Amino acid sequence: MRLAPASLGGRLFLVATILIVAALAGAGAITGLILYRFIQGQVDQRLDTEIAAVLAALVVAPDNRLALTRQIEAPPFDRPGTGWYFEVFDGESRIRSASLGAADLRPPPPPPWSLDWLNRPTGGDGPGPGHQPLHFRARSVALGDHTVMIVATAPRAAIWRPLFDALSPVLIALAIAGVALILAMLLQVRLGLRPLQALRAAVADVRAGRRQRVPANQPSEIAPLVDELNSLIADNAEGLARARRHVSNLAHGLKTPLASLAVALDERGRDPGGELHELIDQMDRRIRHHLGRARAAALHGPARAQTPLVGRVGDLLAIVPKVHPSKTLAVTTDIAPQVAVACEAQDLDEMLGNLVDNAAKWATSRLHISAQVTGGEVAIVIEDDGPGLTDDKVPEVLRPGQKLDESSPGYGFGLPITRELAELYGGGLELGRSDLGGVKATLTLPAAR
Amino acid sequence: MRVLLVEDDRELARRIAEFLRSERYAVDIARNGEDGQHLGETERYDAAVLDLGLPKVRGADVLRAWRASGRNFPVLILTAHDGWSEKVEGFKAGADDYLTKPFRVEELVMRLRALVRRAAGHADARIVCGPLTFDAQLGTFELEGLPLRVTALEWRVLSCLMLRKEVIVDRAELIERVYEGDAEVDSNSLEVIVARIRRKIGRAMIETVRGRGYRLTAGKT
Repeated sequence: MRLAPASLGGRLFLVATILIVAALAGAGAITGLILYRFIQGQVDQRLDTEIAAVLAALVVAPDNRLALTRQIEAPPFDRPGTGWYFEVFDGESRIRSASLGAADLRPPPPPPWSLDWLNRPTGGDGPGPGHQPLHFRARSVALGDHTVMIVATAPRAAIWRPLFDALSPVLIALAIAGVALILAMLLQVRLGLRPLQALRAAVADVRAGRRQRVPANQPSEIAPLVDELNSLIADNAEGLARARRHVSNLAHGLKTPLASLAVALDERGRDPGGELHELIDQMDRRIRHHLGRARAAALHGPARAQTPLVGRVGDLLAIVPKVHPSKTLAVTTDIAPQVAVACEAQDLDEMLGNLVDNAAKWATSRLHISAQVTGGEVAIVIEDDGPGLTDDKVPEVLRPGQKLDESSPGYGFGLPITRELAELYGGGLELGRSDLGGVKATLTLPAAR
Repeated sequence: MRVLLVEDDRELARRIAEFLRSERYAVDIARNGEDGQHLGETERYDAAVLDLGLPKVRGADVLRAWRASGRNFPVLILTAHDGWSEKVEGFKAGADDYLTKPFRVEELVMRLRALVRRAAGHADARIVCGPLTFDAQLGTFELEGLPLRVTALEWRVLSCLMLRKEVIVDRAELIERVYEGDAEVDSNSLEVIVARIRRKIGRAMIETVRGRGYRLTAGKT
């Protein structure tokens, strides 16, 4: 069974509350005990004075009975039923205070540690007449050949009442102190745990790509944790970069020999029917497809990147005239400068590159790129005024490994990878008909927050 | 026509060079970025084929160095990483075209011819000078509508003159554009080649500008 609460705040609160309550209860108890001893001491002193007064007035009368030489019943020993009583007896005769009336006092036996030899009265508590709780003082003295026991009592209330009177303001003060301490402790727990909440927010920022790393200026207790966290983030990013580098190296490693093979096949007479070239193309397509997938699969970590759109689009459009030198295209863009997508720049290049390249390839004279942010998404629309695609061709060009037009390599090939990448980022790719007349490609990507 | 090929893969470089030579180009090969950068900065080329994934100095850096030192010959980049980021980097560094490995070597030649032609300022593939026509895209000459047979060296000289018809082409420049970097150049050999071309297309079409070079002319100006 787990009693400890799951939250740190809860644990701190529970432990501190228990300790505060225990400390205050202890303080209250000790204060009460001291007051009790003090008040009882006062009462004892009064009873002992009464016993001494009785003893001073006590004589053995000629009839061998005990007698008092003078009236010693000062208040409150003169009023009946008060609990302030005394009684003197020697086994045969008794003298009772006026307050006691005809009742007898039965003092409790003296405690074993009673210091009888000091010739001082011993104390104790017990019931009196009518079961009234009484505090006793008793002293036995030798008077002539008589052994006389003098007992004086006070009502227990004479101790308890002043005790309560004195103790209640103390207890109230302690309770107030307790509440104040608990409130202060609550505040301390909240303030003390605030760096943890800030840390959680910072980690969320890293995940969302708003920060590269968790800020290092942290309280010394969590600084090591933050260092570890930053190392982990760096390792993660490095692992991602390494995976991409390996994939890229694999591409290089495979494609250069493949290129040699393709060039070798171009030597006269080696591949008259073009079947071997077709095989090389197939290998190339498969390498590209699976490398694209592998690269995209490396994305499964947190998407941290934020890439401004305008710059990337500008770079890609700048190379369009070089890649398609025979065309003079009027390129227009409508992208607000602050629009950014939560994508790695490399992946954004890949998606936009394929789309812009296709559009430029098929466009007759116009190319239009616009971007709109709706909710958490950016819709990037790339339109051309080329021949366009009929609805039934759309699924075909989005299917991996398809080339719609063999004479113009590339068309349709980059599109499945683009779509796959976009979907991995939680976006998508849609193809439709543009008002310009050609294809309208709509690439949806998560917006950078 | 002289082309610089910067490619670290020995096999691929050899095969591309072989093919380009069979298309009558003079080809210099550099097998790493350092050598490629040096050759590009010191020699005269009509075009360069540059692999981006090079040892020692990266292809894009080589290209930037060329451009920074004022070398503006057209450059076709070869890339095995068919990522757009790399293409963008290549183009930003000053590339004029790209091919992704693997490629058809005919495609490479076609693109090189187009680059050279455009760099010389010809929008049209067919360049005409009097009775002589040069199809810069196919690399063939016609004289009065009939195919003209020329040797590799003759082709290099004549295509150079043709791309800059009616302009005096410096003799030293012509030699540089005709011979491969490690070829033994006889001081008289250019004259011999020009003489052979003159016999084929007519003496009047190539003017000798004494002390400077040659000029291909239709003779009407």
